Amino acid sequence: MSSKSLTLRNISKRFGNVNALDNFNLEVGVGELVALLGPSGCGKTTALRVVAGLEHQDSGSVLVGDLDISQTPAHKRNMGMVFQAYSLFPNLTVEENVAFGLQMRKVNKSLRLKRAHELLDLVGLDSQSKRFTHELSGGQQQRVALARAIAFEPEILLLDEPLSALDAQVRINLREEIRRLQLSLGTTTLFVTHDQEEAMAISDRVGVMNNGVLEQIDTPDALYNKPASTFVASFVGTMNRIPAHITDGVVEIFGSKLVALKRGNESGKVYALIRPESIFVATTTTQGNAKVLTRSFMGASSNIICQTADGTIIQSLMTSASTGDLHPGSSVQLRVLSSEALVAND
Amino acid sequence: MFVFIPMLSAFEFSIRTPANDGYGWEHYLWAIREEDFLHYIIRSGWLAALTVVITLVVLVPTMTWLHLSKSTIRPFVDGISLLPLVIPVVAFAVGAQITFPEFVQNTVLELPFLYFVLALPYAYRTLDIGLNSIPLKTLTEAARSAGANWWRTIATVIIPVIKSAVIGTVAITFALSLGEYTLTVLLHWDTFPTWVTYVAQENILGAIAISMMSLIIPFLVLTAVTLVAPDRSTQGRK
Repeated sequence: MSSKSLTLRNISKRFGNVNALDNFNLEVGVGELVALLGPSGCGKTTALRVVAGLEHQDSGSVLVGDLDISQTPAHKRNMGMVFQAYSLFPNLTVEENVAFGLQMRKVNKSLRLKRAHELLDLVGLDSQSKRFTHELSGGQQQRVALARAIAFEPEILLLDEPLSALDAQVRINLREEIRRLQLSLGTTTLFVTHDQEEAMAISDRVGVMNNGVLEQIDTPDALYNKPASTFVASFVGTMNRIPAHITDGVVEIFGSKLVALKRGNESGKVYALIRPESIFVATTTTQGNAKVLTRSFMGASSNIICQTADGTIIQSLMTSASTGDLHPGSSVQLRVLSSEALVAND
Repeated sequence: MFVFIPMLSAFEFSIRTPANDGYGWEHYLWAIREEDFLHYIIRSGWLAALTVVITLVVLVPTMTWLHLSKSTIRPFVDGISLLPLVIPVVAFAVGAQITFPEFVQNTVLELPFLYFVLALPYAYRTLDIGLNSIPLKTLTEAARSAGANWWRTIATVIIPVIKSAVIGTVAITFALSLGEYTLTVLLHWDTFPTWVTYVAQENILGAIAISMMSLIIPFLVLTAVTLVAPDRSTQGRK
């Protein structure tokens, strides 16, 4: 597999008055899987389509390895792409679909069918090779689309929300399969999704986009634990926004003093951003600082929703074993387990 | 009813033999033996085939582009495609005589281009329905990202996927071209329909026999095309 790095330099793209990409920069290393994550309309799909050559940027350049391909037409870019919608050719059988890219590259028929069978074997569909695509389930169709995208050994693999039309269990299985294939083939991959769980589960790095700008790109761990902005903090995972008072870079919440990571106001009213797993809910016999509204049992962990005296809703994630005494209406004492917190002014 | 009763009546009329007040195939045999029969049917056949080629080569890429580009001129083009229905054929004939260069007017090859215009309203709508019924954008993008240029995308993906619409377009254009009379006469060309009119002056029953053949032969040819090229995607093999 002749995989190469991918670089997007200062890409800008406007659609009428909408700035889809604003001086967008991204680097994907050889063999790396990078996910672009963000809300609808943030520009992630536009970035992918610019890489594929299906949209042309207003300015900036796209490099594969050291080669600038900004002006190269889509069919000469040697990139495999899997689309959100089922995009298999209905007039071709499964094996003909997989061999399509090789046919366009004038590979002889016996070689391309041999390669198609190898790929179909890899995605577990070799037995379906003579079928037509409408005879397959949604998950099978996306497996065939994946096989088609990698059959001609592309330099870059592009995945445009390939799992979003599938059922929950099929999504989980297929995303693991995508990662397994990507690792074994070592293909540089750009994966666009709006599902953060999906992005975090299989990516080496995740880029969070907002309004055409890459807010932060980092490993899933770092993105979750050290968000660079309040947008990333709120978008990735669940975050409590707790009203607090800040004095000289220290916020006080539920009696604990926390160092403010991103300083907004130096003093005065702010919101502290705390993950649910950093909130501990303890039963108390005296008047606590909150009341339990609901407790949702989720197996190993439980989700506790509380309300403080000033009406703020607080979410806590704890092991189920430690939440047995918590019932709706219970008076509880909330504590913050971390020593630092991100703060926002509004 | 309005189609089959006149056709059956014409057929019944064409096999009458007034000499013995019975029925027979003598008018059909007479028509086939006519020395110009084959000449004109071949001429009309290849003119119609050329019209079909022009129609597909011009319309499929143009309409694909119109559908993909979300161009604001699409409603305008939709309207233009209907004009041949409201403009009298005589206006086309005069227009062709005024605008076509002399070397074009001197060859019968001017007819397929004019037949294409006459068939445009029907061919355009048939292809439009076909293109609207498929996920055109996704399929073309999938083909291009897999390495197909625009022409190969059209030839290997779009045309096979909208095959029934393409066959419909071929059938309509071929039939309309084969039977076109007014424009051909106005431009002083002789084709199969004009020859039939000429023949009718001396043998009306023979002319009807020829007309019946000109209806049945294209019908059989187009049916054969449809049967030989069935829709693979809905067959299901296993």
